[in-house]
Amino acid sequence: MSLGRFALKRSLQGIGVVWGVVTVVFALRFVTPGSPINAVAPLDASQETRQAIAAELGLDQPLYIQYGQYIFDLLQGDMGRSYIRGQEVTTLVFERLPATVELAIAASVVAIVLAIPLGVISATNRNDPVDYGATLLSLGGISTPNFWLGIMLILIFAVEFNIFNTSGRGVDVGDVALSVANAEPFVGTLLTWLAYITLPAIALGTYFMALITRLTRSGMLDELSKGYVQAARAKGLPRTLIRYKHALRNTLIPVITVLGLQLGTLIGGAVITEAVFSWPGLGTLVIESINNRDWPALQGSLIIIGTSFVLVNILVDVVYAYLDPEVVND
Amino acid sequence: MVSSRVIRNLKKEFRQSGLAKLGLALVVLILLTAVFAPFIAPHNPTDQQLDQSELPPIGFSETSERTSSQMVDGEIQTVTEEVEVTADPDHVFGTDGLGRDMFSRVVYGARTSLVVGVLGTVLAASIGVPVGLLAGYHRGRVDDALMRIADVSLAFPSLVLAVALIGLWGRAAVNVPDPFVVAGLAPEMPESFVLPITVVIVVGLVNWVWFARVARGEALSLRGQEYVKASRALGADDNTIILRHVLPNAITPIIVLGTVQVAAIILLESSLSFLGFSGTTLSWGFDIAQGRDYVSSGQWWIASIPGLAIMLSVIGINLLGDWLRDALDPGIEGEGGAA
Repeated sequence: MSLGRFALKRSLQGIGVVWGVVTVVFALRFVTPGSPINAVAPLDASQETRQAIAAELGLDQPLYIQYGQYIFDLLQGDMGRSYIRGQEVTTLVFERLPATVELAIAASVVAIVLAIPLGVISATNRNDPVDYGATLLSLGGISTPNFWLGIMLILIFAVEFNIFNTSGRGVDVGDVALSVANAEPFVGTLLTWLAYITLPAIALGTYFMALITRLTRSGMLDELSKGYVQAARAKGLPRTLIRYKHALRNTLIPVITVLGLQLGTLIGGAVITEAVFSWPGLGTLVIESINNRDWPALQGSLIIIGTSFVLVNILVDVVYAYLDPEVVND
Repeated sequence: MVSSRVIRNLKKEFRQSGLAKLGLALVVLILLTAVFAPFIAPHNPTDQQLDQSELPPIGFSETSERTSSQMVDGEIQTVTEEVEVTADPDHVFGTDGLGRDMFSRVVYGARTSLVVGVLGTVLAASIGVPVGLLAGYHRGRVDDALMRIADVSLAFPSLVLAVALIGLWGRAAVNVPDPFVVAGLAPEMPESFVLPITVVIVVGLVNWVWFARVARGEALSLRGQEYVKASRALGADDNTIILRHVLPNAITPIIVLGTVQVAAIILLESSLSFLGFSGTTLSWGFDIAQGRDYVSSGQWWIASIPGLAIMLSVIGINLLGDWLRDALDPGIEGEGGAA
């Protein structure tokens, strides 16, 4: 199978999973006590008013009609209107999504840039103080609740030293890019952006940094003990080339799979990090919608979160297949 | 199954690894704290003493400036006075905003974390393991269906799904009488332990899929083994084979995963409590949420101390998990470790 066909096959499977996600999200309303009408109707609404609301929201239809209608609307990009805000859910969700994606990418960059060198140094200096240091750091990292880490960062860097902002988003990364593109002075915008994003990115990224460090370290140790490494040494290849070209490449393959699987943790972590730093992303929207029983907004956010997970995982699988062509034939 | 070779490996790894010893020590410490909480806690963790609120931990007495407004001769004046905030030896970790003893709250919080962590893991395993074993053993349609369900399940982050389910289903809790208090051994302490039952069910429901994945993988590789074939040739039915031959040989990776899951669920529980989606107020995550409001006014300990407790427990359990993994080598690196 070619890489293209593999990508196509994974995409088709992905569509199936997204359909499952939509179905689960739709079904959620029917395994929840209380009617959605309660979220919209005033407490003292008469029976007639309630029926009118039910008819307007389509809640008086049989289940399969409601489900069909939901899927039909969804295919046209219509996720209904928020009960509370009255806004189109599609608009609302896509307004919030960039902030979450920006935070998640910033956290991943922080994590990957620090973790892979740390893991490699740790593995190539086994049982040195630097290895112990990295091991303890990564152990702490996977064991620290990210919301608490966020509060501690606020305590140290914002309250004590007053360096960073702790609430909201300031400017988005697009503004920074725009200033650079227009050859305007961009340093100020860039600094503002950093002042807002640095602490949440560290709070969210630390767990992943720790996880990737651990995986890279154990993977490298595994690879370095294999026969091909000795053969390459015997052939006289320089040590750095073997480490960084051969061993690291083979190490990264399983690391990528685990990262794909753990992507849900990254998104879940973003939800709580957003709550700590009042970051105006999807996570804050999910929590607001649950507290208000704002069904359309909740369903829309969950569908977008689930779909993003599926999309990124297809991407991860294709990268994986590129790095390790054997999986394509599996 | 747990053979003498397994025990030997465990002992060998334990002797060699200082971290394994540290992990076991931490876990034992937390277990004892949780079980004997009524005897360890010096105060009732829910008792509010407003005249003793916001006391710093021992060693952190300080003078701070407090500004208050007063009516002097019909005009409002702001008065700034030096206030000496002295730690009270009766409150080792200080008190929170309502004058509750932080140390006692940390001790009692261990109960919530451990009980939710262990019960949630047991629930997740008791759903995931049978489903995974059946799917991996029978393959075919059952397996395809399971893998699709698992894909959909993984697409929802545990925390997001848990928040949604608890938010929608409500935050039910059960009062479990504390045997020590009922027996009259610690009369000052809360009479019952509040078990946040919805949280237990939900964390089990959102994490079963990790167990199903691992159990399925094991069953897939074990179904072709000679002893399974031999048993089948002797006429044993499938369920007997799964129970007698597949499960015992799949148990090692399941135990390792279970350990990591307890840590992951403790983190998940604290996140849920922090966001206000729990059924109990005696939880480390809940205390961090309370303490968050005091961070900018200088009472740093209210949010910091419960977080350290979470961190130490999770480090302990993770070290235990590392020890089991290194000694038993089940080959499931990085599976299911997250909240």
